[in-house]
Amino acid sequence: MRHHEEEVMGTVVTFDLFDERGFNDHAVDEAFARAAALLHDVDEVFSTWKPQSPMSRLRRGEIAVASAPSQVAEVLERCAYAKEVSGGWFDPWSMPGGVDPTGYVKGWAAQSSLAVLASLGAAGAIVNAAGDVAVAGQPKPTSGFRVGIVNPFDRSVLVCAVEVAGGVATSGDYERGSHLVNPFTGDTTTALASATVTGPDLGLADALATALVVGGREVLAFIEALSGYEAFLIGHDATWSTSSSFALASEVVL
Amino acid sequence: MKRSIIVTSATAVGLTGVMLFHTAPVGMTLGGLPTSAGASTGTGATTTTPTTVPATTSTVAAAPPPKTKKSGTTTTTPTTTAPTTTTTANGGTRSAIGEAVNYYFGVLSVKVTATGSKVTGVTISALQDGGNYRSQSIDQQSIPMLEQEALQAQSSNIQSISGASYTSAGFAQSLQSALKKLGI
Repeated sequence: MRHHEEEVMGTVVTFDLFDERGFNDHAVDEAFARAAALLHDVDEVFSTWKPQSPMSRLRRGEIAVASAPSQVAEVLERCAYAKEVSGGWFDPWSMPGGVDPTGYVKGWAAQSSLAVLASLGAAGAIVNAAGDVAVAGQPKPTSGFRVGIVNPFDRSVLVCAVEVAGGVATSGDYERGSHLVNPFTGDTTTALASATVTGPDLGLADALATALVVGGREVLAFIEALSGYEAFLIGHDATWSTSSSFALASEVVL
Repeated sequence: MKRSIIVTSATAVGLTGVMLFHTAPVGMTLGGLPTSAGASTGTGATTTTPTTVPATTSTVAAAPPPKTKKSGTTTTTPTTTAPTTTTTANGGTRSAIGEAVNYYFGVLSVKVTATGSKVTGVTISALQDGGNYRSQSIDQQSIPMLEQEALQAQSSNIQSISGASYTSAGFAQSLQSALKKLGI
């Protein structure tokens, strides 16, 4: 297998490739470099931390979406869809300081970089962007990817593992400085301690996880209505529940 | 082999990356101040591999040159992480909590402990949910170690971890303010 870490987007993103047949080292290095460059490009465009990024300038009203790089319109369109299917519980337009798609971008970027890695044709590929995980293929011929979910009450242990075929994202109130604003009230209290969402689009999974943590179990109905998306919830009272077909791969230990 | 990958995939590492990544541009200049005896600061800071000592304290060294992020890190043994240690002539060990930053979303503040002009500990304190202050060490080594232990105990067959992540911007802002309070 092959491994790469990239410091980007204010965090560390890891790439891993699995293939029992071995690798073409040159091709792997080249793919890692391209996937990393993609992430840096996303950071340059979407960083709300960099004052001169197109996203920052858009937030200040200095430019319009039409004059921003084309990814901005694409991401905002995807965010609008995420807002719609989450019943408004994920809403980048309700963030203080102007529209902020950060809650979608990390997962979207991870998924995009995974596509670069997957083009190598390795048996399995995985990207982890600070807890947002996208996978393609399988790590072993006989088993798929399994991802551990962090215990929101004790980050040093895992609550369970989940089988993942596309993406998995977790949001929680232990997530400091993150997108946990209630779009309907503007406050930062959360209904759940943690929410994990699996699904084919990691950006959407991340958005839905945020919606769940903020809005609570009532948001589960929106996820049930979406084909291919499943959720695992942990309440502040340390009770847990799942959507109808969440692919638990272990016992739940809370 | 897998475990090391799992650990580096975890969010705590991401936060460490944040610290290294974003502190450089804010212009910390630890090495420019008088230092107490034994403090290793400045651009000559040593860099160790990320897998050496399990329980170390990460310190923030003088502003590294751009794009050489890892050179801005020094790892030392954890002698002065508590603010209750003895005071020395040159300021001794002291700590300051940076401003609570409301950076778009949550409220976050960073506590920095220093001896002389050497930062010996950085901790996050955050107010997120109904007034519950929590704090969490963001020690560069210990969290990955804890996570590794957890993995060893709980799972022998996973490829990665999903968990809520930290955001860098508010962290860097509060860190800067805490350093300012300490005169660093």
